[in-house]
Amino acid sequence: MSAVLHAHPESGPSLGVADSGKSRRVLSEAGMRGRWWRFVLILAITAIVLVPIMVTVILALTPGPGSTATGLTLENITGVFSKTLAATWLGNSLITTLSTVVVSVAVAAPAGYVLSRGRSKAVSGYSLLLFVMQSLPIITSVVPLFILFANMGLVDNLLGLTIIYVGSTMTVATWMMAAYFDSIPISLEEASWIDGCSVFGSFTKVVLRNSLPGILSTAIFAFLLAWNDYLVAIVFLRSDEIFTLPVGVQSFFQQNLTDWSGVMALAVVMMLPPIIVFATLNRYFSVGGIGGSLAGR
Amino acid sequence: MSSTTAQSGLARARRGLAPGGSGGRPRNEDLNRKSKLSGQTTRTFFWLLLPSIVLVILINGYPLIYAAVQATHDGSLIDTGNFVGLDNFTSVLTSPAFWKAAQFTLLFTIVGVFGSWGVGLGLALLLRTKIPAGGAFKVLLLLPWVVPIVVSSTAWNWLVATPDSLIPSIFRNLGLGTPLFLADPHLAAVMVMVFKVWVSFPFMMMMTSAALASVDTTVYEAASMDGATKWQQFTQITLPMIARSTYISWILMTIFCVNDFPTIYLLTGGGPVDATTSLVVLAYRSVFQDFQTGHGVAIAFLMTLTLVIVSVFLYRQIRKSSVE
Repeated sequence: MSAVLHAHPESGPSLGVADSGKSRRVLSEAGMRGRWWRFVLILAITAIVLVPIMVTVILALTPGPGSTATGLTLENITGVFSKTLAATWLGNSLITTLSTVVVSVAVAAPAGYVLSRGRSKAVSGYSLLLFVMQSLPIITSVVPLFILFANMGLVDNLLGLTIIYVGSTMTVATWMMAAYFDSIPISLEEASWIDGCSVFGSFTKVVLRNSLPGILSTAIFAFLLAWNDYLVAIVFLRSDEIFTLPVGVQSFFQQNLTDWSGVMALAVVMMLPPIIVFATLNRYFSVGGIGGSLAGR
Repeated sequence: MSSTTAQSGLARARRGLAPGGSGGRPRNEDLNRKSKLSGQTTRTFFWLLLPSIVLVILINGYPLIYAAVQATHDGSLIDTGNFVGLDNFTSVLTSPAFWKAAQFTLLFTIVGVFGSWGVGLGLALLLRTKIPAGGAFKVLLLLPWVVPIVVSSTAWNWLVATPDSLIPSIFRNLGLGTPLFLADPHLAAVMVMVFKVWVSFPFMMMMTSAALASVDTTVYEAASMDGATKWQQFTQITLPMIARSTYISWILMTIFCVNDFPTIYLLTGGGPVDATTSLVVLAYRSVFQDFQTGHGVAIAFLMTLTLVIVSVFLYRQIRKSSVE
């Protein structure tokens, strides 16, 4: 591509080959122009796409009606923390989501290992079962689980919510782990088996130890799913102090339809954690693995 | 040690696995060597799978069976009620609301899948070329997918909900009238689909980018030397090379769209006048607002049956395509 050619147009004494130097410069100018056109295009698209998110941030930082502040302010955000249970909701969301992430990875990693290494009919049957379960509407499970959990005191309870989140993130988490394990050469494990290591030993000492990117990718996925869930939370959570942020934001929105600065401040509180997680860890995140894993077995 | 020989048998069976592990595996050979697995390995595999199996039974298996019971009873959330056979199913299947919701779900899914795929593919192709700060755009464009729906639906509401919202005001100032995006049944349906595409295209972009990254670029040089146009290169090289990944992303997105609840419910609540009521929203309302548990579960159950059949079929198709 021409982009390669213009990498260092000025470097080196190219006086001896004036002609080729000239054509090289022409190519690179065309390449540069194309690059900047594409830059402007993608900038415009990104700006349009991000309008709803920018609006949220701007409204959250703009002084609300009756405020004496000028310019941008954090008073809406501190305001929602003092006039709502935002701190409690944030805590509830963090506890539920982080427990979901830990348990989900802990269950999905061994299962993914079996799906990656096992080749029996039973294993591929289980893989099909996971695929089918993943495709079912969560609403089908929600009603029976509501009744079951009501009898066990798990309705309006963060533990009950976490159990359902683990169950619903587990299938995709298992595929993602399996896809990552597929990329770890079996020869590493063979070496440990020769040293007398068991299959379980090689899984924990060899495979897991080399799987940090896969584990992080799965963890991010579970984080996003649990943090963003609305349906399960709205069904299972009843009292204010047990709400997670999605239910909290929604109930505040419905009670304060015109208090946009408050609503948006709460919205910013809710969207920050996933954005922080994604911004710091996005290089580990790959959904491509889901497809590869699905097709591979 | 017998377990060691068994493990090296397992190792031999698994050797030759390509990194990335997608497709083209020597499956039959693997299955034939299954007998070489020792009982110990099988037992280890079982224990490793056990937590997952327990969760599948608790979160998916048990509720599915219980849902079958509820769908054949006229109970509520508290009370199982009396056995009514297939009455719930006949009343669901004869109600116009069900068919209207089914029709909307189908349209929503088609637009959701192909809309987000088209946008995602276009952006993935654009971002594959050299662009200043391309990496930053790649991350920024994922935001609609990362930001919780509860948040983005609120922002969309602010943008379009009332005649004085930002976007209707812009339309009015341009002399295009004042569209009532969420109050007009047709516009609301369009709005929900646009919102769904906005939420989902980053997922498609990620899937496509991953697939495009594995396409060997030297093929394009050869093709352009043979005089192939950019469009020919796109339709005859790029698309076929990413076909399998595309197929899988369509399948996943179909499942996401059919089962979607928050995108629709938080933007329009299923209205106006049920114009945006999908099957999941209808089932949710029947159970939690109209307290007709049997009716709602029957809707969910019909969806489940359809999805089981469709997903088993699609799963077979994916495997078939990956063996080739």
